[in-house]
Amino acid sequence: MYKRQAIKDVGKETSMFFVRCIVALLFVVILMLVLISRQVKLQVLDHEKYQTQSENNRISVRPVAPVRGLIFDRNGILLAQNRSIFALEVVPEQVEDMQMLIDELQSLMQVSDEQVAKFQEQVKFRPKFKSYILKSNLTEKEVALFSVNQHRFIGASVEARLERYYPYAGDLVHVLGRMGAITEKDLEKMDQKDLDENQDVGLTRQNYAATNKMGKLGLERYYEDILHGAVGSEKVETDVRGRVVRVLEKVEPISGKDIYLHLDLDLQKAAADAFKEVGARGAVVAVEPSTGGVLAMVSLPTYDPNLFTGGISSAEYKKLLTAERPLYNRAVQGTYSPASTIKPHLAWLGLQQQVITENTRIADPGWFSLPNSEHRYRDWKPWGHGATMGVLQSVVQSCDTFFYDLAVRLGIDNIYQGMFKFGFGQKTGLDIVEEKIGILPSREWKKTARKQPWYMGDTVNIGIGQGFWTVTPLQLANATAVIANDGIRYQLQLAKEFAQGNMFEANVPVESYHQIDTGDGSWLDLIKDSMYKVTQPPLGTARSAFGDAGYMAAGKTGTAQVKSIAQDEEYDADKLDKKFHDNALFIGYAPYDNPQIAIAVIMENAGGGGGNAAPIARKIMDAYLLKEQASSAVQNAQSMHVQQQGDLTHAD
Amino acid sequence: MLTSFNQSNTHKAKNNLLWRLHIDAPLLLGLLALMCFSLLVIYSAGGENLGLIKRQMMRLGAGLVVMLVLAQISPRTLRQWAPVGFVIGIGFLLAVLFFGESSKGAQRWINIGIRFQPSEIMKLAVPMMVAWYYAEKPLPPTFKQLVIGLVIVAVPTILIMKQPDLGTSLLIAASGLFVIFFAGIRWRYILGALAAALVMLPIMWYFVMHDYQKGRVLTFLNPERDPLGSGYHIIQSQIAIGSGGIYGKGWLNGTQSQLEFLPERHTDFIFAVLGEEFGLTGILILLGLYLFVIGRGIYISLQGQETFSRLLGASLILTFFVYIFVNIGMVSGLLPVVGLPLPLISYGGTSIVTLMAGFGILMSIQTHRRLHST
Repeated sequence: MYKRQAIKDVGKETSMFFVRCIVALLFVVILMLVLISRQVKLQVLDHEKYQTQSENNRISVRPVAPVRGLIFDRNGILLAQNRSIFALEVVPEQVEDMQMLIDELQSLMQVSDEQVAKFQEQVKFRPKFKSYILKSNLTEKEVALFSVNQHRFIGASVEARLERYYPYAGDLVHVLGRMGAITEKDLEKMDQKDLDENQDVGLTRQNYAATNKMGKLGLERYYEDILHGAVGSEKVETDVRGRVVRVLEKVEPISGKDIYLHLDLDLQKAAADAFKEVGARGAVVAVEPSTGGVLAMVSLPTYDPNLFTGGISSAEYKKLLTAERPLYNRAVQGTYSPASTIKPHLAWLGLQQQVITENTRIADPGWFSLPNSEHRYRDWKPWGHGATMGVLQSVVQSCDTFFYDLAVRLGIDNIYQGMFKFGFGQKTGLDIVEEKIGILPSREWKKTARKQPWYMGDTVNIGIGQGFWTVTPLQLANATAVIANDGIRYQLQLAKEFAQGNMFEANVPVESYHQIDTGDGSWLDLIKDSMYKVTQPPLGTARSAFGDAGYMAAGKTGTAQVKSIAQDEEYDADKLDKKFHDNALFIGYAPYDNPQIAIAVIMENAGGGGGNAAPIARKIMDAYLLKEQASSAVQNAQSMHVQQQGDLTHAD
Repeated sequence: MLTSFNQSNTHKAKNNLLWRLHIDAPLLLGLLALMCFSLLVIYSAGGENLGLIKRQMMRLGAGLVVMLVLAQISPRTLRQWAPVGFVIGIGFLLAVLFFGESSKGAQRWINIGIRFQPSEIMKLAVPMMVAWYYAEKPLPPTFKQLVIGLVIVAVPTILIMKQPDLGTSLLIAASGLFVIFFAGIRWRYILGALAAALVMLPIMWYFVMHDYQKGRVLTFLNPERDPLGSGYHIIQSQIAIGSGGIYGKGWLNGTQSQLEFLPERHTDFIFAVLGEEFGLTGILILLGLYLFVIGRGIYISLQGQETFSRLLGASLILTFFVYIFVNIGMVSGLLPVVGLPLPLISYGGTSIVTLMAGFGILMSIQTHRRLHST
């Protein structure tokens, strides 16, 4: 047994092993061929497909934001510019553990819980795979700190973005407005607009693919499509984490157009300073009568729009929500009783409608009452202006009784139609979306708004610009310009020209002007004359403010009651709460024979118009009309400076 | 000059320095060529990291030393020590099961001064043991001997499967089964075993395989099932290979690898980098080198004078091929993802040493022949 088992047939075993080895080798070769055929399938037959997939992997097309157009004043002074700020941004989809990332970032630099909450809010409601700002306005130190530790924060990066900066801050915020983050709602609105208008207005989701802010107020909002420009794109090679390795192709974005305004920065500052000196709230609008261009538009108090760049903290925002209401743009949104400032317009309407003539005289006992009525409408002068008040003197001295009577003679329908022609009861067409209309009352208006019929007594109050009638400072300035302009009403505009590089294009508003039928020219001359005399001794209500002016000015004061005073009461400022004090108003234009500036001033709760608003208007007009001499001196100095710089360049 | 020197000394070829060092020149040449190719690809896949190259060169050097050492040991000595090695290996595997260190959810490591995977020892110990068992038996083996051989293979295989390390356990089973195959197991047994395996598949699926292993198979069958998870590897590696085309994108120019879309580029998926940068041409060169090494290995085994040497040599070289097939099959989407490196090309530690030890054994078989017969 043992021997039998131990016998090995070496020859047979060798040949069997040989066969097995050949089989094994065959097996290896066959499987190798399987592998090779697989590679041929991948690399030759399906090469195109994988080639494309590999390109798609590495190449992505990303939008490039255009540079926003700048805004200049009429003299080319930069009012709204773009500045680089550094922001810490995060692409949420690239982050593995968001909470850990935020914790670690917080240990590196100060990131408030509020900023985190805001970021997370954005992430929830805005498109995916975009980067969102966690903290903006990084300091240089923070940028350096992050850069050194960047490898620890996959998905987070520091990006430099161009953000709006307003060098004149609060002085212009109510003109320029400000920017804000684009919300999903904004984008939906764009989509809707696309569908509705079916035309290229530049406001499309696509065009904003790389933009994260848009104009939310003021000019920034109105001219959003012009300022924004057209989006560009770049084909980039990215690695697996989406980091750009290199740029392969680039379609340059088209920068937004620059806007040159009618606005004069010096005048704007002068107007704001004049207000600030007396610490008043209110608004000033100054327009160029010959064009409808707005020279200055001030609303006070004001705030610094730069606070909003990169997101305002809620604490800072709360500070702006005071009773003073700095966020409120009084010049275009404030609606005030025009008070006596509309007397020239009513007087002209009376003459034109021939319910009075220049010879009409009425007696002013200090009050007016309707026939068969006990109610007395008081004149501001308790003892009246005398027995023979004519239209000219009634404007000069602001006789209330004459205008109570005139209003009744005209009737509300006439007043409504006449005043509408001066631009009341409608938008001036200024290039600011937020503009309010105010109320130009009519029978119809009262029926719908108040559900009451029109009473004769309502008409009486309209005669002195009180009662239901409210106007915006803008409308008031506009109506003043109409008189200065011999009846031509232009559409008010802030923007004068648009510029792309060296190509300038004038801003032509849709309905550029309306001509009021002035009829007999002498009527308007009479009104202008009366307004001139307002600024002159002996009796003009603005004589103390304008008596010594270096030019001829025309104007009209106004003092608006904020609180109605009962029949048997006297107005006593000392007894009233400040917020019930009279509003001081003034309208005017100058120079009298060649008007270059028309102006409306409203000061909230400041008291009488002649004593408070007229001096402000005087300062503003001085700043504009007398600057010729001043500015030529400055220009000389500047050219000297340029000369010196030129010399220096040569010296280099 | 060198060539002429060699030619003029053909008769003395077997007496030259390499022979005395127990080195088989053709095999060494093939291995060195593969190693150079490996360094080239790793340099690109590792982001041109010279540190990586340095470490890999040290490993290859260590592998060459181990190869040289094993080549000095005669097959006779190896045969004498085979049972001892096997028993020690089994002991280590049991130790791993009870005291081993875990890493990535599997218990594969043991620490006795140095940390190592006992399953690496078994890659050599199992075929050696089976070859030892059949060495003195008349072949083909009887049914009883076959069963004993299978038990020798099964014990370590099951122990390693328990760790769990499916890939390695299958490789070890293969290395043992290859010995049985070369020992002359009857074809009808082989066919029967294949049929049984088919029947076993569903049983394995439901009772033996872990969820992560099932997941790999499912993802293999349909990579889109989890395109950002486990399917990502397969999709990206196929894109890499496919986009390489016939001539490749060029060394250091593979976008899939350089831009890091391809995961595990310098380890298990290095074949995809090679395919992307060197194209089908590069792949054919690689497979050609492999085929040369395998052919040489089989040639050496055929020349073997003892049953032990033949069975062991043929099994080792065939196992080497299994590595190649499984890795390339996995990377190019023919097989499910199994964590196996591409032999001699992938960056990595222990497997190179084990492989080179295997080639050392082959060299020993070749150079310890008694030369009187030729």
